[in-house]
Amino acid sequence: MATDRSRRRTWTLSLAALATIIVLYLTTGVSSGLRSGANIVVTPFSWAVNLIAHPIGHMLAGTVNYSDVVAQNQKLRYQLGKAEERANQGWAYARQLQQVTTNLDVPFVGSLPTVAAQVTALSPTNFAATVTISKGQDSGILDGMPVVANGGLVGRVVAATANSATVRLITDTASSVGVTFGTGVTTLIVSGRGLNNGLAATSVPLGTSVTPGTKLFTDGLNGGLYPAGVPVASVKTVTLTPGAATYNLTLKPAANLHYLSYLDVVIWEPAA
Amino acid sequence: MTIATLVIVAVQLSIFTSLRFAGVVVMIVWLWPLAMGLAGLTALSLWCALVAGVFFDTHATTPFGLTALVALLLAYGASRLGREGVGDLDSAAWWVTPLLAAAAGFVAPVLFVGASFVTLNFSLWRDSLFPAMVVNAVAFFLLARPMARLARWVGGLGGARR
Repeated sequence: MATDRSRRRTWTLSLAALATIIVLYLTTGVSSGLRSGANIVVTPFSWAVNLIAHPIGHMLAGTVNYSDVVAQNQKLRYQLGKAEERANQGWAYARQLQQVTTNLDVPFVGSLPTVAAQVTALSPTNFAATVTISKGQDSGILDGMPVVANGGLVGRVVAATANSATVRLITDTASSVGVTFGTGVTTLIVSGRGLNNGLAATSVPLGTSVTPGTKLFTDGLNGGLYPAGVPVASVKTVTLTPGAATYNLTLKPAANLHYLSYLDVVIWEPAA
Repeated sequence: MTIATLVIVAVQLSIFTSLRFAGVVVMIVWLWPLAMGLAGLTALSLWCALVAGVFFDTHATTPFGLTALVALLLAYGASRLGREGVGDLDSAAWWVTPLLAAAAGFVAPVLFVGASFVTLNFSLWRDSLFPAMVVNAVAFFLLARPMARLARWVGGLGGARR
């Protein structure tokens, strides 16, 4: 049976907790400071958990996927031999750099400078499609810069610290990209529908000559968030609801967002 | 208790973020205070919910405080049941705790999206809401008893007899 005192204590604690959250939410500066502080507090625990969990995880994965591990090992030995061969020739580093650039497949950024970065973490929550990358302000990466890889637009930087940055993917539900196609007369807004659901565009005028397979590029309009001409997606389906005056499109991102390991941050800031 | 909660947050961020089922992250930062609440540790479950939620929120790009708010709601609801002995590992049938946890896991993502409307964020519902509900319900069902035992042990109640 709960006593009045303990009930009062529960209510007080609940109200204090709720008030704390509301205050932190409303005061953005405080919450951003708190984020940094919390990172410092949690990091040693994450480090300790990783120290314990990774060997166990590797052991389990090794047991379950033993044949794959053997096959990968053989492949890696072969690749290692090739790499050693190249290293002996003295120009391995230059060639690897060229290979990485080719693999990233980002010729569409033209003369804009880019910074290559590795993906270090995925979003910890189900309701945000973001990734954390290994480079930040020290490498010239700032909030708002576009990110590309694997043949298309990946997203944009939404937070940057000295040595890391958070990239919001175009599939995030808070993300929207202005795009165009064909002769560039029509512009559309492409919205994210979550990492597992791809992209969509709604309210597309009926006269628009858009068909499955049509490729969409960033429109680069003045004041836009992205430079012009970056591939965003291709049209998967065109739906016309009976009686409606517009199409709805479902789209497939040009870049494969499920297998991101390296990205290119385009050193380009949106116009004010 | 706070240290144990921080370890849970670290496990969530280090392991469960990568270990996705159907692309969905299992939110043990919600299960932990729920288990504490079902063990009847009311004040501790609310404290754990706040700590776990706030520290998790600092690592996510979703509106700050939403995870903590959902954790607090789950902890409060669970502790009300826990104080009546519902879901207690000793007195209730073996399936009660997992079933309550599964129900909480199913509802929690909806609470999260509902709470996001309060922060004027109307886009989260478009994400993988239903898969998140199903996967969390199944995972909470499976993890409820081990987590409840851990909660009892950390809370100084000793292990359950069965």
